[in-house]
Amino acid sequence: MLGDSKLKTLLDLINTSTKEELVWINGYLNGVVQGKVSSSTETASAAVTAPIPAVNKITIVYGTETGNSKRLATEFAMKAKQNKIVAKVVGMDQYKLADLAKEEYLLAVVSTHGEGEPPIAAKKFYDHIHNNGFRLEKLKYSVLALGDTSYPLFCKTGEDVDEQLNKLGGERIAPIQKCDIEYEEEANSWFSTVLKQLIVSKTEPKVVTVPPGVPVPAKKTGKQVYEGIVTTQVNLNDRGSNKTTWHIELAAENLQYQCGDSIGIVPENDSQMVTDIIQVTNADGNKSVEFKKEKATVYELLKRKVNIVYLTERLVQQYATITGHTIPAGRADLLDLVKKYPVKNVTQFEEILVGLNGMSPRLYTIASSPAAHEGEVHIVVAKDVYQVDGKKRFGLCSDFLGQFKTGKKQQFFIQPNKRFKLPAEDKDVIMVGPGTGIAAFRSFLAERDATGASGKNWLFFGEQHFTSDFLYQTEIQQWHDTGVLTKISLAFSRDQQEKIYVQNKMLEQGEELYNWLKGGASFFVCGKKDPMSNDVEKTLLSIIEKYGNKSPEGAKEFLEELEESGRYEKDVY
Amino acid sequence: MSDKNKPSAIEGIKIASDGLRGTIQESLKDEITGAIRDDDQAVIKFHGMYMQDDRDRREERAEKKLERLYSYMIRLRLPGGFLAPEKWIAMNDVANEHSTRVIKITTRQTVQLHGIVKSHVKPTISSFNEGNLDSIATCGDINRNVTCASHPKQSAIHAEVFGYADKISQLLMPKTKAYYEIWLDEEKIVDKKEEEDPLYLDKYLPRKFKIGIAIPPNNDSDVFTNDLGLVAIIENNKLLGFNVAVGGGLSTTHGNAETYARLATVIGFACTENILKVVYEVVTTQRDFGNRSDRKLARLKYTVDRMGVDNFKAEVEKRCGFKLEETKPYTFTTRSDYYGWHKGENGLWYYTVFVENGRVLDDEKIALKTALLEIAKTGKSNFLFTATQNVIIADVKEEDKAAIQSLLEEFKITEHTEGASLIKKNSIACVALPTCPLALAEAQRYMPTLLSKIEPLLTRYGLGNEEIVIRMTGCPNGCGRPYAAEIGFVGTAPGHYNLHIGGDNQGERLNKLYKEALDESAILSTLEGLFAVFKNERNKEERFGDFVMRRQLV
Ligand code: SRM
Ligand SMILES: Cc1cc2nc3c(=O)[nH]c(=O)nc-3n(C[C@H](O)[C@H](O)[C@H](O)COP(=O)(O)OP(=O)(O)OC[C@H]3O[C@@H](n4cnc5c(N)ncnc54)[C@H](O)[C@@H]3O)c2cc1C
Ligand SMILES: Cc1cc2nc3c(=O)[nH]c(=O)nc-3n(C[C@H](O)[C@H](O)[C@H](O)COP(=O)(O)O)c2cc1C
Ligand code: SF4
Repeated sequence: MLGDSKLKTLLDLINTSTKEELVWINGYLNGVVQGKVSSSTETASAAVTAPIPAVNKITIVYGTETGNSKRLATEFAMKAKQNKIVAKVVGMDQYKLADLAKEEYLLAVVSTHGEGEPPIAAKKFYDHIHNNGFRLEKLKYSVLALGDTSYPLFCKTGEDVDEQLNKLGGERIAPIQKCDIEYEEEANSWFSTVLKQLIVSKTEPKVVTVPPGVPVPAKKTGKQVYEGIVTTQVNLNDRGSNKTTWHIELAAENLQYQCGDSIGIVPENDSQMVTDIIQVTNADGNKSVEFKKEKATVYELLKRKVNIVYLTERLVQQYATITGHTIPAGRADLLDLVKKYPVKNVTQFEEILVGLNGMSPRLYTIASSPAAHEGEVHIVVAKDVYQVDGKKRFGLCSDFLGQFKTGKKQQFFIQPNKRFKLPAEDKDVIMVGPGTGIAAFRSFLAERDATGASGKNWLFFGEQHFTSDFLYQTEIQQWHDTGVLTKISLAFSRDQQEKIYVQNKMLEQGEELYNWLKGGASFFVCGKKDPMSNDVEKTLLSIIEKYGNKSPEGAKEFLEELEESGRYEKDVY
Repeated sequence: MSDKNKPSAIEGIKIASDGLRGTIQESLKDEITGAIRDDDQAVIKFHGMYMQDDRDRREERAEKKLERLYSYMIRLRLPGGFLAPEKWIAMNDVANEHSTRVIKITTRQTVQLHGIVKSHVKPTISSFNEGNLDSIATCGDINRNVTCASHPKQSAIHAEVFGYADKISQLLMPKTKAYYEIWLDEEKIVDKKEEEDPLYLDKYLPRKFKIGIAIPPNNDSDVFTNDLGLVAIIENNKLLGFNVAVGGGLSTTHGNAETYARLATVIGFACTENILKVVYEVVTTQRDFGNRSDRKLARLKYTVDRMGVDNFKAEVEKRCGFKLEETKPYTFTTRSDYYGWHKGENGLWYYTVFVENGRVLDDEKIALKTALLEIAKTGKSNFLFTATQNVIIADVKEEDKAAIQSLLEEFKITEHTEGASLIKKNSIACVALPTCPLALAEAQRYMPTLLSKIEPLLTRYGLGNEEIVIRMTGCPNGCGRPYAAEIGFVGTAPGHYNLHIGGDNQGERLNKLYKEALDESAILSTLEGLFAVFKNERNKEERFGDFVMRRQLV
């Protein structure tokens, strides 16, 4: 039935295919016959299991803050191996920049943080490729950008990397793929496309020429915005405390979230600052201008839409260029700029204005439970205090939230956190949440209390002073009395001469803690990333080492296994 | 009203407490709360402390999801209210390090420190211990701090009488070593025989027990308000012994007709050789005959009235193995502290400082606390607390007087003491809010304001120089002995007080309820009315309290 050539190709394919591949081909053809299979990503990703790649060595670099990029990079490497491609995975912070010039096939998975800034771990790499002192003639590459559409500069870092590598002479083997927080699907389809390219049985994989700037658009995970009403706002710290920590309750219609998720809130700028800027620049607050394809008055923009404090270096320099002043490198507030380096005229100011970054949302771990607090989200917000040349200043959003009065309307969205989730109801949980880290665990405990979960719960909490800073003390006592909270370990750092922190308490109870882990408990950390979560991790490793008598490497592996099985999760910031 | 035979809950706790140990050690380890376990709250009283919370802060803390602001009040054991200078310094330092910094002189001649948080209780007691101070048995169902006439000038043998306060305190100390074990980390005793207690057994007394000693003619220790009052009988500078008075006690309970205030009944005289035995057997009689089912009726006063004075006396004599002698004559003429400088018969000088409601602190008006500390540092004087909540700088040698005087002037103590009005100098107010859990109304925080509004009334009727004894308490428990005052205010609700009048000046006659639940304006108008008649119709030299009684105003 088939002509010789076709038959030959078929036989070649059959002879060179593994059993699994044949099974798959069988199913695939079957699908084709029934006209079921579209040229969708599954087909692509399926098709990649074809034999003998043309390219057999690639490097996958990742730049991550919270681990997603790393996780993906590792998955890709494994897939590559299945396809007989040797894949070297390396973090951008570990990457020998000198090697870049030698790279032939490079895949970059990188997220964006802060206000469109690269993750700290990616900074070196990012800066390196931005000082265009060299060429990357051999380089074939593609970028997977992780991001979040709720941030104004969506996947900025990925875009920059993609563009820069191209500028330096690199050729794209696949267009940049931007992903929203629900990144799995798009990430996989991107990798399939990449693999296809690598496998095409040509000595030279064909290079797709896509004009930069027209990348495959990210599938926006439509985040529902809720209209919240503030029903409670109270400072949990007692008189005489060094801290201010607000417990805020927001009520909203048909709310949907899970314990472990966060909410996102877009703060507003200080009205005084806004009017000062308008006054100094003689701008017309009521004049309507266009920002990101939306019309809004100058006042509206300054008050709600753009960030005017602590502008990024890039924006400060942009300001310099527009106004023609020379301004030393560094960040600055818009008000200080317009005072120190006046704008020539209003048009100049408006040009600067529309060039500013949109206001970034701030995330707050949800402190309530759908089962226990129906129709409400609770958050616990630490007033962020810092010094700028001797002057006390407050964080924009935390200060904004601190001024909430009950009855105030405030929009927010839910920021899901897929991994930071309570295990099965009968599994044990260890929770380390000092300071505002208590949020996630108030949520967990309230949920387990409301649902009567049978698993044991062990909470580590810490703050400065027992008397003034024991956040949610009476609720925690309740859970302790009723047995929901099996065990509690407290560390109040400043109630005695020597400082005591949660990790010290973990160490004190190292053996029992290890036994919980051996018994299948999940370990959660929530709160300040630095130094807290790092110290906690170090301590956890030393406990595993000591009581599981393992080598440092052994302990690391043990923890990695926990991590992979979702039993070691962090929600840190 | 609990049934006659069923012992009250506290009785069970005492017996189960394993020599007043309870589960205090565990309670101290509960890091999730500043409180201690319920039963332990009863047990720690025997160690001289009370669990309290700042009542001003309850609502606010609750809203912040914080538990009540728990803290502990510790009461020192100072028989006769005597304190050597180095002990004053120690106490001052402890107050600064662990408490509210305020040194509160009590109506029983000792000191309380407030606001000590749980984690500081042990450190507080061990620092006290280093300063040779303790708080053993200053609270609880046991003999309390023994009070004694404070003023050395009263008699050459003041010191000798005074010695009895100490002797009695020692005689009636509990034998348990729990205090040392729990608070001072001393070895657990293995053989419990070591602490067998023939006096208290394992059940202690049915209720608190108070002993006071007075030296006529001054009844500054309010001797008849004690369960057991001893009146020193001195003949040509020799201490013969004591008249024995039993069944004093002031507390009443609003709306409980069975409770009443009572002054002790003199039942006879015991010579110095016999007095300790008599004291001991009065205590054992109360131990065995006191009511252990209803704590409201458990004080000695109710035991005496239930048994009848004569039967009670007979029981005590039986236990003593000898009879009490005829009561010896005595007369009291006053209850006031002798302010300013005075010379004792022993030739040593002493200065009585006016301390408003017994609160020693540095405020905008005067730096009283610093002043007393500086004086203590000179080592040139001892300290004595009076039952009217004042402090005496005692035993000052002729040659050191000037040095002390200049400190008193430097810190305006002389000015402060001389400047205080007579009614203020004779007044007492209890602690009440915010620490006292039983308070129904303010007392020490409000008394100064009220008195400064009463002062002009008195002057208006030319009564500015009257030594009227005015006392206030925040509830009917009577900690400020308001029933033994010429004018007594007893708190009934925030801002409201029952007005009692007609007590005598020297503390031998109780007052009576005159008007109920008055607010400030009602108090002032009522008093103004009384002062008006008093001014016009009093006999010469007649005291306000006596006038009220003669005219049968109550
Ligand atoms: C500090 C002091 C008042 C003061 O301002 O000086 C005081 C303060 C308290 N008294 Fe008192 N009593 C004080 C002298 C008295 C007196 C006067 C006296 O003894 O000369 C009396 C009346 C005489 C008597 O005992 O009848 C007195 C009768 C009471 C009573 C009622 C006892 C009774 O028979 O029902 C209570 C309540 C109780 O014991 O149940 C009480 C209970 C209390 C407590 C401990 C409240 C409690 O039980 O939790 C108060 C602590 C308040 C605080 O925050 O400090 N206090 N208490 C006095 C400490 C004396 C000492 O150093 O030991
Ligand atoms: C997943 C997640 C969960 C979180 N959960 C919580 C939570 O439960 N509770 C909570 O309190 N926080 C939480 N956070 C942190 C929170 O999102 C905010 O970062 C925090 O509230 C600070 O934001 P802000 O707007 O108040 O401060 P910002 O105004 O953003 O300032 C933050 C910092 O930037 C620097 N800065 C800003 N302006 C200047 C300037 N002009 N000059 C110099 N330095 C400057 C300062 O160091 C300042 O501390 C979470 C964060 C994440 C990512
Ligand atoms: C504080 C913070 C700031 C962020 N800023 C941006 C941003 O400006 N633009 C963007 O696209 N995504 C932003 N994100 C979203 C992250 O890029 C996204 O969560 C990504 O999945 C993280 O990947 P990683 O775990 O590899 O760092 C931000 C996230 C956080 C927590
Ligand atoms: S009289 Fe009442 S209010 Fe005053 S201290 Fe005693 S118990 Fe407290």
